[in-house]
Amino acid sequence: MKILLALLMFFTFTYGADATIEVIKKAETLPSIAVEDASNDYDESFKLRFFKALIADLNVISIFNVDRHYRINEYDASSVVVENKDQEYVLRYLLQELDNGGLGVSMKLLQKDGTEVFSKNYRVSKQNIYMFVAHAIAYDINEFMGEAPVSWIKRKVIFAKIVAPMKTEIIISDYTLSYQHVIVKGGFNVFPKWANKAQSAFYYTSLDSVKPTLKYIDIRKGAVKSLMSSDGMMICSDVSDDGQKLLLTMAPKGQPDIYVYDLNTKKYSKETHYRGIDVNGQFMGRGKMVFISSRLGYPNVFSKTLGRDDVEQMVYYGRSNSACSAHGHYVVYKARETSNAFSENTFNLHLISTKTDVIRRLTATGVNEFPRFSHDGDAIIFIKNYKGQSAIGIIRLNYNKNYLFPITSGRVQSLDW
Amino acid sequence: MMKSIVLSGVVAALLVFSGCSDKEPVVDSQNSEQVAAATEAAAVETETVSAEDSMVNSSTNSAEMTMAEVESKLPTIYFAFDKYDITPEMQERIDAAAELGKQDIAKSLSVKLEGNCDEWGSDEYNFALGLKRAEAVKKALVADGIEASRISMVSYGESNPVCTEHTKECWAKNRRVDFKLIP
Repeated sequence: MKILLALLMFFTFTYGADATIEVIKKAETLPSIAVEDASNDYDESFKLRFFKALIADLNVISIFNVDRHYRINEYDASSVVVENKDQEYVLRYLLQELDNGGLGVSMKLLQKDGTEVFSKNYRVSKQNIYMFVAHAIAYDINEFMGEAPVSWIKRKVIFAKIVAPMKTEIIISDYTLSYQHVIVKGGFNVFPKWANKAQSAFYYTSLDSVKPTLKYIDIRKGAVKSLMSSDGMMICSDVSDDGQKLLLTMAPKGQPDIYVYDLNTKKYSKETHYRGIDVNGQFMGRGKMVFISSRLGYPNVFSKTLGRDDVEQMVYYGRSNSACSAHGHYVVYKARETSNAFSENTFNLHLISTKTDVIRRLTATGVNEFPRFSHDGDAIIFIKNYKGQSAIGIIRLNYNKNYLFPITSGRVQSLDW
Repeated sequence: MMKSIVLSGVVAALLVFSGCSDKEPVVDSQNSEQVAAATEAAAVETETVSAEDSMVNSSTNSAEMTMAEVESKLPTIYFAFDKYDITPEMQERIDAAAELGKQDIAKSLSVKLEGNCDEWGSDEYNFALGLKRAEAVKKALVADGIEASRISMVSYGESNPVCTEHTKECWAKNRRVDFKLIP
Protein backbone atom coordinates (compact mmCIF):
# COMPACT_ATOMS: atom_id res chain seq x y z
CA MET A 1 0.00 0.00 0.00
CA LYS A 2 2.81 2.34 0.96
CA ILE A 3 4.58 1.54 -2.29
CA LEU A 4 1.41 2.24 -4.26
CA LEU A 5 1.00 5.55 -2.49
CA ALA A 6 4.64 6.45 -3.13
CA LEU A 7 4.21 5.56 -6.81
CA LEU A 8 1.05 7.65 -7.05
CA MET A 9 2.82 10.58 -5.46
CA PHE A 10 5.75 10.17 -7.83
CA PHE A 11 3.49 10.32 -10.88
CA THR A 12 1.59 13.26 -9.48
CA PHE A 13 4.79 15.23 -9.03
CA THR A 14 6.27 14.29 -12.41
CA TYR A 15 3.09 15.30 -14.17
CA GLY A 16 2.78 18.42 -12.10
CA ALA A 17 6.11 19.62 -13.42
CA ASP A 18 5.19 18.99 -17.05
CA ALA A 19 3.91 22.05 -18.90
CA THR A 20 2.19 19.91 -21.53
CA ILE A 21 -0.29 18.85 -18.87
CA GLU A 22 -3.01 21.45 -18.66
CA VAL A 23 -3.56 22.98 -15.26
CA ILE A 24 -7.31 22.91 -14.82
CA LYS A 25 -7.56 24.12 -11.28
CA LYS A 26 -4.48 25.21 -9.46
CA ALA A 27 -5.66 26.24 -6.05
CA GLU A 28 -9.02 26.78 -4.47
CA THR A 29 -8.38 30.42 -3.66
CA LEU A 30 -5.62 32.86 -4.41
CA PRO A 31 -4.68 35.49 -1.83
CA SER A 32 -6.50 38.78 -2.35
CA ILE A 33 -4.76 42.06 -3.02
CA ALA A 34 -5.97 45.66 -3.35
CA VAL A 35 -4.08 48.74 -4.50
CA GLU A 36 -4.03 52.16 -2.80
CA ASP A 37 -2.80 55.33 -4.50
CA ALA A 38 -1.10 57.89 -2.23
CA SER A 39 0.01 60.29 -4.98
CA ASN A 40 -0.37 64.07 -4.82
CA ASP A 41 1.53 64.88 -8.02
CA TYR A 42 0.07 64.45 -11.54
CA ASP A 43 -3.50 64.80 -12.80
CA GLU A 44 -6.30 62.33 -12.22
CA SER A 45 -6.10 60.83 -15.71
CA PHE A 46 -2.42 59.92 -15.37
CA LYS A 47 -2.93 58.59 -11.85
CA LEU A 48 -5.70 56.37 -13.13
CA ARG A 49 -3.61 55.18 -16.07
CA PHE A 50 -0.83 54.12 -13.73
CA PHE A 51 -3.32 52.40 -11.45
CA LYS A 52 -4.85 50.45 -14.34
CA ALA A 53 -1.43 49.40 -15.65
CA LEU A 54 -0.51 48.11 -12.20
CA ILE A 55 -3.81 46.22 -11.80
CA ALA A 56 -3.32 44.61 -15.23
CA ASP A 57 0.23 43.53 -14.31
CA LEU A 58 -0.90 42.09 -10.98
CA ASN A 59 -3.50 40.07 -12.87
CA VAL A 60 -0.95 38.79 -15.35
CA ILE A 61 1.36 37.43 -12.64
CA SER A 62 -1.64 35.23 -11.75
CA ILE A 63 -0.88 34.76 -8.05
CA PHE A 64 -3.53 37.07 -6.58
CA ASN A 65 -7.22 37.79 -6.73
CA VAL A 66 -6.88 41.45 -7.64
CA ASP A 67 -9.41 44.00 -6.41
CA ARG A 68 -10.09 46.49 -9.21
CA HIS A 69 -11.37 49.39 -7.10
CA TYR A 70 -9.35 52.60 -7.11
CA ARG A 71 -8.72 53.63 -3.50
CA ILE A 72 -6.84 56.59 -2.09
CA ASN A 73 -4.85 56.64 1.14
CA GLU A 74 -1.94 58.49 2.74
CA TYR A 75 1.41 56.84 1.96
CA ASP A 76 2.35 56.63 5.63
CA ALA A 77 -1.12 55.81 6.96
CA SER A 78 -0.85 53.15 9.62
CA SER A 79 -3.88 51.21 8.44
CA VAL A 80 -5.40 50.33 5.09
CA VAL A 81 -8.63 52.03 3.94
CA VAL A 82 -11.73 50.48 5.46
CA GLU A 83 -12.88 48.93 2.16
CA ASN A 84 -9.59 47.02 2.00
CA LYS A 85 -9.60 45.66 5.53
CA ASP A 86 -10.50 42.16 4.37
CA GLN A 87 -7.76 42.03 1.73
CA GLU A 88 -4.84 39.79 2.56
CA TYR A 89 -2.41 42.22 0.92
CA VAL A 90 -2.54 45.90 0.08
CA LEU A 91 -0.09 47.48 -2.34
CA ARG A 92 0.31 51.20 -1.70
CA TYR A 93 2.24 53.51 -3.98
CA LEU A 94 3.22 57.15 -4.33
CA LEU A 95 3.93 58.80 -7.70
CA GLN A 96 6.31 61.75 -7.61
CA GLU A 97 7.11 64.21 -10.35
CA LEU A 98 10.88 64.71 -10.43
CA ASP A 99 12.71 67.91 -11.39
CA ASN A 100 14.04 66.63 -14.69
CA GLY A 101 10.65 65.46 -15.96
CA GLY A 102 11.26 62.02 -14.55
CA LEU A 103 8.90 59.88 -12.56
CA GLY A 104 9.64 58.51 -9.12
CA VAL A 105 7.53 55.74 -7.60
CA SER A 106 7.65 54.46 -4.05
CA MET A 107 5.70 51.39 -3.16
CA LYS A 108 5.11 49.17 -0.19
CA LEU A 109 3.31 45.92 0.30
CA LEU A 110 1.23 45.69 3.46
CA GLN A 111 -0.45 42.81 5.14
CA LYS A 112 -3.99 42.90 6.46
CA ASP A 113 -2.95 44.33 9.83
CA GLY A 114 -0.96 47.14 8.20
CA THR A 115 2.45 45.49 8.65
CA GLU A 116 4.84 46.43 5.87
CA VAL A 117 6.42 43.32 4.38
CA PHE A 118 8.16 44.68 1.31
CA SER A 119 9.06 48.06 -0.15
CA LYS A 120 11.03 49.51 -3.01
CA ASN A 121 11.65 52.78 -4.88
CA TYR A 122 11.81 53.25 -8.62
CA ARG A 123 12.57 56.08 -10.95
CA VAL A 124 12.52 56.49 -14.71
CA SER A 125 13.72 59.42 -16.78
CA LYS A 126 10.38 60.13 -18.45
CA GLN A 127 6.78 60.04 -17.38
CA ASN A 128 5.59 58.32 -20.57
CA ILE A 129 7.42 55.08 -19.76
CA TYR A 130 5.50 54.67 -16.51
CA MET A 131 4.26 51.21 -17.57
CA PHE A 132 7.77 49.80 -17.20
CA VAL A 133 7.65 50.80 -13.54
CA ALA A 134 4.31 49.02 -13.14
CA HIS A 135 5.86 45.92 -14.79
CA ALA A 136 8.88 46.13 -12.48
CA ILE A 137 6.64 46.38 -9.40
CA ALA A 138 4.69 43.29 -10.49
CA TYR A 139 7.98 41.48 -11.16
CA ASP A 140 9.32 42.33 -7.71
CA ILE A 141 6.13 41.39 -5.90
CA ASN A 142 6.01 38.10 -7.76
CA GLU A 143 9.59 37.46 -6.69
CA PHE A 144 8.90 38.53 -3.10
CA MET A 145 6.03 36.04 -2.98
CA GLY A 146 8.51 33.30 -3.90
CA GLU A 147 7.06 32.50 -7.33
CA ALA A 148 9.07 31.51 -10.41
CA PRO A 149 10.54 34.68 -11.94
CA VAL A 150 8.59 36.48 -14.66
CA SER A 151 11.55 38.27 -16.21
CA TRP A 152 9.72 38.56 -19.56
CA ILE A 153 7.36 41.08 -17.97
CA LYS A 154 10.17 43.67 -17.94
CA ARG A 155 11.45 42.91 -21.43
CA LYS A 156 10.69 44.87 -24.53
CA VAL A 157 8.80 43.45 -27.48
CA ILE A 158 9.90 44.32 -30.99
CA PHE A 159 7.48 43.79 -33.85
CA ALA A 160 6.92 44.59 -37.53
CA LYS A 161 3.53 46.02 -38.41
CA ILE A 162 2.16 46.06 -41.94
CA VAL A 163 0.60 49.50 -42.48
CA ALA A 164 0.00 49.16 -46.25
CA PRO A 165 1.09 46.69 -48.95
CA MET A 166 4.93 46.68 -48.90
CA LYS A 167 4.94 49.30 -46.15
CA THR A 168 5.85 48.39 -42.59
CA GLU A 169 6.97 49.92 -39.35
CA ILE A 170 9.23 48.32 -36.78
CA ILE A 171 8.03 49.13 -33.29
CA ILE A 172 9.51 48.64 -29.84
CA SER A 173 6.94 48.24 -27.09
CA ASP A 174 6.35 46.81 -23.67
CA TYR A 175 4.51 43.49 -23.53
CA THR A 176 1.11 45.20 -23.13
CA LEU A 177 1.69 47.53 -26.14
CA SER A 178 0.82 50.55 -23.99
CA TYR A 179 4.29 51.95 -24.70
CA GLN A 180 5.09 52.03 -28.41
CA HIS A 181 8.02 53.62 -30.17
CA VAL A 182 8.45 53.40 -33.94
CA ILE A 183 12.14 52.69 -34.43
CA VAL A 184 12.13 52.07 -38.20
CA LYS A 185 9.63 54.10 -40.18
CA GLY A 186 8.99 53.90 -43.91
CA GLY A 187 10.14 51.19 -46.28
CA PHE A 188 9.45 47.48 -46.26
CA ASN A 189 11.15 45.84 -43.28
CA VAL A 190 10.18 42.56 -41.66
CA PHE A 191 11.30 39.90 -39.15
CA PRO A 192 12.94 42.02 -36.41
CA LYS A 193 14.99 39.94 -33.97
CA TRP A 194 16.80 41.12 -30.83
CA ALA A 195 20.56 40.78 -31.28
CA ASN A 196 21.39 40.21 -27.61
CA LYS A 197 19.86 39.58 -24.22
CA ALA A 198 20.30 43.22 -23.23
CA GLN A 199 18.02 44.20 -26.14
CA SER A 200 20.38 47.00 -27.17
CA ALA A 201 20.40 46.09 -30.86
CA PHE A 202 18.34 44.12 -33.35
CA TYR A 203 18.46 42.48 -36.77
CA TYR A 204 15.77 42.76 -39.42
CA THR A 205 15.17 42.02 -43.08
CA SER A 206 14.92 44.94 -45.47
CA LEU A 207 13.02 44.18 -48.67
CA ASP A 208 13.58 47.58 -50.27
CA SER A 209 16.66 46.72 -52.32
CA VAL A 210 16.90 44.24 -55.22
CA LYS A 211 17.99 41.48 -52.85
CA PRO A 212 16.57 40.92 -49.36
CA THR A 213 19.16 42.35 -46.97
CA LEU A 214 19.84 41.64 -43.32
CA LYS A 215 20.36 44.86 -41.39
CA TYR A 216 21.46 45.63 -37.87
CA ILE A 217 20.50 48.60 -35.72
CA ASP A 218 22.21 49.63 -32.52
CA ILE A 219 19.36 51.32 -30.65
CA ARG A 220 21.56 53.49 -28.48
CA LYS A 221 23.44 54.94 -31.42
CA GLY A 222 20.54 54.79 -33.86
CA ALA A 223 22.96 53.56 -36.53
CA VAL A 224 22.00 51.12 -39.30
CA LYS A 225 24.44 48.57 -40.72
CA SER A 226 23.80 46.32 -43.75
CA LEU A 227 25.21 42.90 -42.93
CA MET A 228 24.50 40.61 -45.86
CA SER A 229 21.99 39.89 -48.58
CA SER A 230 20.72 36.88 -50.45
CA ASP A 231 18.58 36.37 -53.50
CA GLY A 232 15.06 35.26 -52.63
CA MET A 233 15.08 35.20 -48.82
CA MET A 234 17.20 36.52 -45.98
CA ILE A 235 15.80 36.18 -42.48
CA CYS A 236 17.46 36.06 -39.09
CA SER A 237 15.36 33.34 -37.45
CA ASP A 238 17.22 33.07 -34.16
CA VAL A 239 20.17 34.40 -32.19
CA SER A 240 22.15 32.15 -29.84
CA ASP A 241 22.08 32.90 -26.11
CA ASP A 242 25.54 34.48 -26.23
CA GLY A 243 24.56 36.55 -29.29
CA GLN A 244 27.47 35.14 -31.31
CA LYS A 245 25.67 32.80 -33.70
CA LEU A 246 22.70 33.40 -35.97
CA LEU A 247 20.34 30.95 -37.58
CA LEU A 248 19.55 32.42 -40.99
CA THR A 249 17.11 31.37 -43.66
CA MET A 250 18.68 32.25 -47.00
CA ALA A 251 18.07 31.25 -50.59
CA PRO A 252 21.17 32.20 -52.61
CA LYS A 253 19.98 30.01 -55.49
CA GLY A 254 16.26 30.38 -54.96
CA GLN A 255 16.28 27.43 -52.58
CA PRO A 256 15.28 28.28 -48.98
CA ASP A 257 17.70 26.63 -46.54
CA ILE A 258 18.93 27.18 -43.00
CA TYR A 259 22.47 28.39 -42.32
CA VAL A 260 24.43 29.01 -39.14
CA TYR A 261 26.40 32.24 -39.26
CA ASP A 262 29.23 32.78 -36.79
CA LEU A 263 29.71 36.49 -36.06
CA ASN A 264 33.28 35.93 -34.82
CA THR A 265 34.65 33.93 -37.73
CA LYS A 266 32.19 35.49 -40.23
CA LYS A 267 31.65 32.04 -41.71
CA TYR A 268 28.46 30.26 -42.76
CA SER A 269 27.62 26.61 -42.56
CA LYS A 270 24.68 25.21 -44.44
CA GLU A 271 22.53 23.11 -42.13
CA THR A 272 19.80 21.82 -44.45
CA HIS A 273 20.03 20.34 -47.92
CA TYR A 274 16.51 19.29 -48.82
CA ARG A 275 15.27 20.53 -52.21
CA GLY A 276 11.92 21.77 -50.84
CA ILE A 277 11.42 24.30 -48.06
CA ASP A 278 13.55 24.43 -44.89
CA VAL A 279 12.95 27.52 -42.73
CA ASN A 280 12.44 28.88 -39.19
CA GLY A 281 15.55 27.47 -37.47
CA GLN A 282 15.46 27.87 -33.67
CA PHE A 283 18.31 27.04 -31.30
CA MET A 284 17.25 24.30 -28.93
CA GLY A 285 20.21 23.76 -26.59
CA ARG A 286 22.62 20.81 -26.60
CA GLY A 287 23.86 21.86 -30.04
CA LYS A 288 20.51 21.21 -31.69
CA MET A 289 17.90 23.18 -33.57
CA VAL A 290 14.24 22.76 -34.47
CA PHE A 291 12.99 23.93 -37.85
CA ILE A 292 10.13 23.72 -40.32
CA SER A 293 10.53 21.57 -43.41
CA SER A 294 8.28 20.43 -46.23
CA ARG A 295 10.26 17.19 -46.66
CA LEU A 296 7.17 15.04 -46.04
CA GLY A 297 5.17 16.94 -48.64
CA TYR A 298 3.64 19.32 -46.08
CA PRO A 299 5.18 21.69 -43.52
CA ASN A 300 6.11 20.03 -40.24
CA VAL A 301 8.47 20.40 -37.28
CA PHE A 302 11.86 18.63 -37.33
CA SER A 303 15.03 18.77 -35.27
CA LYS A 304 18.68 18.11 -36.01
CA THR A 305 22.11 18.45 -34.42
CA LEU A 306 24.01 21.41 -35.83
CA GLY A 307 26.74 20.24 -38.18
CA ARG A 308 25.26 16.76 -38.51
CA ASP A 309 22.67 15.11 -40.73
CA ASP A 310 20.46 13.45 -38.13
CA VAL A 311 17.09 15.01 -39.02
CA GLU A 312 14.30 13.80 -36.75
CA GLN A 313 10.54 14.41 -37.03
CA MET A 314 9.25 16.15 -33.91
CA VAL A 315 5.48 16.31 -34.44
CA TYR A 316 3.20 13.48 -35.54
CA TYR A 317 -0.07 15.36 -35.44
CA GLY A 318 -1.57 17.70 -38.05
CA ARG A 319 -1.01 18.04 -41.80
CA SER A 320 0.34 21.56 -41.79
CA ASN A 321 2.58 22.77 -38.96
CA SER A 322 4.34 25.82 -40.33
CA ALA A 323 6.01 27.68 -37.44
CA CYS A 324 7.76 26.70 -34.19
CA SER A 325 9.85 27.79 -31.22
CA ALA A 326 11.79 25.73 -28.69
CA HIS A 327 12.81 26.00 -25.06
CA GLY A 328 14.61 23.16 -23.32
CA HIS A 329 12.66 20.03 -24.16
CA TYR A 330 9.49 21.94 -25.05
CA VAL A 331 8.44 22.85 -28.58
CA VAL A 332 5.49 25.09 -29.42
CA TYR A 333 4.19 24.97 -32.97
CA LYS A 334 1.47 26.40 -35.16
CA ALA A 335 -0.93 23.84 -36.63
CA ARG A 336 -3.52 24.32 -39.33
CA GLU A 337 -6.81 22.98 -37.93
CA THR A 338 -8.90 23.43 -41.07
CA SER A 339 -7.80 23.10 -44.66
CA ASN A 340 -10.33 25.13 -46.53
CA ALA A 341 -9.18 27.10 -49.53
CA PHE A 342 -12.48 28.95 -49.71
CA SER A 343 -13.35 30.12 -46.23
CA GLU A 344 -11.87 31.21 -42.91
CA ASN A 345 -9.27 28.87 -41.47
CA THR A 346 -8.23 28.18 -37.89
CA PHE A 347 -4.62 27.87 -36.79
CA ASN A 348 -3.85 26.92 -33.22
CA LEU A 349 -0.71 26.72 -31.16
CA HIS A 350 0.23 23.40 -29.58
CA LEU A 351 2.85 22.48 -27.02
CA ILE A 352 4.78 19.21 -26.96
CA SER A 353 7.57 17.89 -24.80
CA THR A 354 10.31 15.68 -26.22
CA LYS A 355 9.98 13.61 -23.05
CA THR A 356 6.28 12.71 -23.28
CA ASP A 357 3.72 11.95 -25.99
CA VAL A 358 1.27 14.54 -24.72
CA ILE A 359 0.14 17.41 -26.94
CA ARG A 360 -1.44 20.43 -25.29
CA ARG A 361 -3.50 22.84 -27.37
CA LEU A 362 -2.83 26.40 -26.25
CA THR A 363 -5.32 28.46 -28.28
CA ALA A 364 -8.88 27.95 -29.46
CA THR A 365 -10.01 30.36 -32.18
CA GLY A 366 -8.70 32.45 -35.05
CA VAL A 367 -5.27 32.52 -36.62
CA ASN A 368 -2.61 32.05 -33.94
CA GLU A 369 0.93 32.19 -35.19
CA PHE A 370 4.54 33.20 -34.73
CA PRO A 371 5.01 31.64 -31.26
CA ARG A 372 8.18 32.55 -29.36
CA PHE A 373 9.19 31.27 -25.93
CA SER A 374 10.37 33.75 -23.31
CA HIS A 375 14.03 33.28 -22.33
CA ASP A 376 13.01 31.60 -19.09
CA GLY A 377 10.39 29.39 -20.77
CA ASP A 378 7.67 30.72 -18.45
CA ALA A 379 5.57 32.26 -21.23
CA ILE A 380 4.95 32.23 -24.96
CA ILE A 381 4.30 35.32 -27.03
CA PHE A 382 2.40 35.01 -30.30
CA ILE A 383 0.40 36.86 -32.96
CA LYS A 384 -3.36 36.45 -33.10
CA ASN A 385 -5.44 37.58 -36.06
CA TYR A 386 -9.14 37.16 -35.48
CA LYS A 387 -12.12 38.85 -37.13
CA GLY A 388 -9.99 41.54 -38.73
CA GLN A 389 -8.21 42.41 -35.49
CA SER A 390 -4.49 41.85 -35.01
CA ALA A 391 -3.18 41.33 -31.48
CA ILE A 392 -0.14 40.20 -29.54
CA GLY A 393 -0.89 37.38 -27.15
CA ILE A 394 0.88 36.03 -24.08
CA ILE A 395 0.36 32.49 -22.81
CA ARG A 396 1.39 31.68 -19.26
CA LEU A 397 1.99 27.97 -19.44
CA ASN A 398 1.98 27.12 -15.76
CA TYR A 399 -1.18 29.10 -15.08
CA ASN A 400 -3.10 28.11 -18.21
CA LYS A 401 -3.91 31.73 -18.97
CA ASN A 402 -3.85 33.72 -22.22
CA TYR A 403 -3.75 37.50 -22.47
CA LEU A 404 -4.40 39.48 -25.66
CA PHE A 405 -3.19 42.99 -26.43
CA PRO A 406 -4.74 44.26 -29.69
CA ILE A 407 -3.10 46.85 -31.94
CA THR A 408 -5.31 49.71 -33.06
CA SER A 409 -4.37 49.64 -36.74
CA GLY A 410 -2.43 47.54 -39.20
CA ARG A 411 -1.40 43.93 -38.81
CA VAL A 412 1.44 42.39 -36.82
CA GLN A 413 3.76 40.58 -39.24
CA SER A 414 6.39 39.17 -36.88
CA LEU A 415 7.79 39.77 -33.41
CA ASP A 416 10.45 38.97 -30.86
CA TRP A 417 11.02 39.60 -27.17
CA MET B 1 20.96 65.79 -33.79
CA MET B 2 21.70 62.13 -33.24
CA LYS B 3 24.70 63.04 -31.08
CA SER B 4 22.60 65.24 -28.87
CA ILE B 5 20.02 62.49 -28.45
CA VAL B 6 22.66 59.95 -27.51
CA LEU B 7 24.24 62.49 -25.20
CA SER B 8 20.95 63.33 -23.54
CA GLY B 9 20.31 59.61 -23.14
CA VAL B 10 23.67 59.20 -21.45
CA VAL B 11 23.08 62.25 -19.28
CA ALA B 12 19.67 60.91 -18.33
CA ALA B 13 21.20 57.57 -17.43
CA LEU B 14 23.93 59.27 -15.41
CA LEU B 15 21.36 61.34 -13.58
CA VAL B 16 19.44 58.22 -12.75
CA PHE B 17 22.49 56.37 -11.52
CA SER B 18 23.78 59.30 -9.54
CA GLY B 19 20.26 59.86 -8.31
CA CYS B 20 19.96 56.40 -6.93
CA SER B 21 23.38 56.20 -5.38
CA ASP B 22 22.97 59.22 -3.16
CA LYS B 23 19.34 58.64 -2.41
CA GLU B 24 19.25 55.88 0.08
CA PRO B 25 15.65 54.75 0.15
CA VAL B 26 14.11 55.77 3.42
CA VAL B 27 12.54 52.55 4.45
CA ASP B 28 12.23 51.98 8.14
CA SER B 29 12.37 48.28 7.93
CA GLN B 30 14.54 45.74 9.67
CA ASN B 31 15.13 43.82 6.49
CA SER B 32 18.43 44.95 4.95
CA GLU B 33 17.81 43.09 1.68
CA GLN B 34 15.04 45.48 0.77
CA VAL B 35 17.35 48.45 0.79
CA ALA B 36 19.87 46.80 -1.46
CA ALA B 37 17.17 45.77 -3.89
CA ALA B 38 15.67 49.24 -3.92
CA THR B 39 18.95 50.84 -4.91
CA GLU B 40 19.46 48.37 -7.68
CA ALA B 41 15.98 48.68 -9.08
CA ALA B 42 16.04 52.44 -9.37
CA ALA B 43 17.57 52.06 -12.82
CA VAL B 44 14.62 50.10 -14.16
CA GLU B 45 14.62 50.29 -17.91
CA THR B 46 15.70 53.89 -17.77
CA GLU B 47 18.91 53.72 -19.68
CA THR B 48 17.74 51.87 -22.73
CA VAL B 49 14.28 53.30 -23.06
CA SER B 50 15.39 56.90 -22.88
CA ALA B 51 17.89 56.39 -25.67
CA GLU B 52 15.27 55.06 -28.02
CA ASP B 53 14.13 58.42 -29.23
CA SER B 54 16.24 57.86 -32.29
CA MET B 55 14.31 56.91 -35.35
CA VAL B 56 15.71 55.43 -38.50
CA ASN B 57 14.26 56.46 -41.78
CA SER B 58 14.28 53.73 -44.31
CA SER B 59 13.02 55.00 -47.61
CA THR B 60 12.47 53.42 -50.98
CA ASN B 61 13.80 54.91 -54.15
CA SER B 62 11.99 53.91 -57.26
CA ALA B 63 13.83 54.64 -60.49
CA GLU B 64 11.79 52.20 -62.48
CA MET B 65 9.44 54.63 -64.19
CA THR B 66 11.14 54.52 -67.58
CA MET B 67 10.49 50.81 -67.92
CA ALA B 68 6.85 51.11 -67.02
CA GLU B 69 5.70 50.50 -70.58
CA VAL B 70 7.43 47.15 -70.96
CA GLU B 71 6.46 46.19 -67.46
CA SER B 72 2.78 46.86 -68.13
CA LYS B 73 2.84 44.13 -70.79
CA LEU B 74 4.21 41.52 -68.41
CA PRO B 75 1.73 39.09 -66.90
CA THR B 76 0.88 38.04 -63.34
CA ILE B 77 1.16 34.33 -62.65
CA TYR B 78 -1.42 32.87 -60.24
CA PHE B 79 -1.15 29.76 -58.11
CA ALA B 80 -3.43 27.31 -56.37
CA PHE B 81 -3.86 27.26 -52.60
CA ASP B 82 -0.65 26.13 -50.82
CA LYS B 83 0.93 25.18 -54.20
CA TYR B 84 3.84 26.36 -56.30
CA ASP B 85 3.41 24.37 -59.50
CA ILE B 86 2.51 26.09 -62.77
CA THR B 87 -0.78 25.28 -64.51
CA PRO B 88 -0.93 25.03 -68.36
CA GLU B 89 -2.85 28.32 -68.51
CA MET B 90 -0.14 30.11 -66.53
CA GLN B 91 2.56 28.43 -68.65
CA GLU B 92 1.11 30.23 -71.70
CA ARG B 93 1.47 33.55 -69.90
CA ILE B 94 5.10 32.77 -69.03
CA ASP B 95 5.84 31.79 -72.66
CA ALA B 96 4.45 35.15 -73.82
CA ALA B 97 6.56 36.97 -71.22
CA ALA B 98 9.68 35.10 -72.38
CA GLU B 99 9.01 36.20 -75.99
CA LEU B 100 8.75 39.81 -74.79
CA GLY B 101 11.98 39.40 -72.84
CA LYS B 102 13.84 38.39 -75.99
CA GLN B 103 12.82 41.51 -77.94
CA ASP B 104 15.37 44.30 -78.43
CA ILE B 105 13.54 46.76 -76.20
CA ALA B 106 13.81 44.45 -73.22
CA LYS B 107 17.12 42.69 -73.87
CA SER B 108 19.19 44.95 -71.64
CA LEU B 109 16.74 44.66 -68.77
CA SER B 110 16.67 42.22 -65.90
CA VAL B 111 13.57 41.05 -64.14
CA LYS B 112 12.79 40.63 -60.47
CA LEU B 113 10.19 37.97 -59.78
CA GLU B 114 8.18 38.81 -56.69
CA GLY B 115 6.50 35.85 -55.02
CA ASN B 116 3.37 36.52 -52.95
CA CYS B 117 0.97 34.56 -50.77
CA ASP B 118 -2.54 34.92 -49.40
CA GLU B 119 -3.14 36.07 -45.84
CA TRP B 120 -2.97 32.63 -44.21
CA GLY B 121 0.25 32.96 -42.29
CA SER B 122 2.95 35.52 -41.64
CA ASP B 123 5.64 33.01 -40.85
CA GLU B 124 8.82 32.18 -42.69
CA TYR B 125 7.15 29.21 -44.35
CA ASN B 126 4.79 31.55 -46.17
CA PHE B 127 7.73 33.61 -47.39
CA ALA B 128 9.41 30.42 -48.57
CA LEU B 129 6.22 29.40 -50.39
CA GLY B 130 6.22 32.76 -52.18
CA LEU B 131 9.85 32.21 -53.10
CA LYS B 132 9.20 28.70 -54.47
CA ARG B 133 6.49 30.27 -56.65
CA ALA B 134 9.01 32.79 -57.97
CA GLU B 135 11.53 29.99 -58.49
CA ALA B 136 8.96 27.94 -60.47
CA VAL B 137 8.42 30.93 -62.77
CA LYS B 138 12.17 31.45 -63.10
CA LYS B 139 12.68 27.83 -64.15
CA ALA B 140 9.93 28.15 -66.73
CA LEU B 141 11.47 31.37 -68.13
CA VAL B 142 14.91 29.75 -68.32
CA ALA B 143 13.37 26.77 -70.11
CA ASP B 144 11.91 29.32 -72.57
CA GLY B 145 15.40 30.66 -73.30
CA ILE B 146 15.80 33.61 -70.91
CA GLU B 147 19.27 33.78 -69.31
CA ALA B 148 19.13 32.87 -65.62
CA SER B 149 21.51 35.75 -64.86
CA ARG B 150 18.83 38.25 -65.89
CA ILE B 151 16.39 36.96 -63.28
CA SER B 152 16.39 37.70 -59.56
CA MET B 153 13.81 36.62 -57.04
CA VAL B 154 12.27 37.86 -53.84
CA SER B 155 9.39 36.82 -51.64
CA TYR B 156 7.04 39.20 -49.88
CA GLY B 157 5.01 36.51 -48.14
CA GLU B 158 1.59 37.92 -47.32
CA SER B 159 2.90 41.49 -46.93
CA ASN B 160 2.08 42.70 -50.43
CA PRO B 161 -1.58 41.93 -51.10
CA VAL B 162 -3.28 43.42 -54.17
CA CYS B 163 -6.63 42.68 -52.58
CA THR B 164 -7.39 42.99 -48.88
CA GLU B 165 -10.92 41.68 -48.54
CA HIS B 166 -11.39 38.39 -46.75
CA THR B 167 -12.89 36.46 -49.67
CA LYS B 168 -11.79 33.49 -51.70
CA GLU B 169 -11.54 35.65 -54.85
CA CYS B 170 -9.26 37.99 -52.99
CA TRP B 171 -7.02 35.25 -51.64
CA ALA B 172 -6.70 33.79 -55.17
CA LYS B 173 -5.55 37.19 -56.49
CA ASN B 174 -2.85 37.39 -53.84
CA ARG B 175 -1.31 33.96 -54.55
CA ARG B 176 0.81 35.26 -57.39
CA VAL B 177 4.18 36.12 -58.91
CA ASP B 178 4.65 39.65 -60.28
CA PHE B 179 7.30 40.71 -62.80
CA LYS B 180 9.28 43.87 -61.97
CA LEU B 181 11.89 45.15 -64.43
CA ILE B 182 15.26 46.41 -63.23
CA PRO B 183 17.84 48.17 -65.43
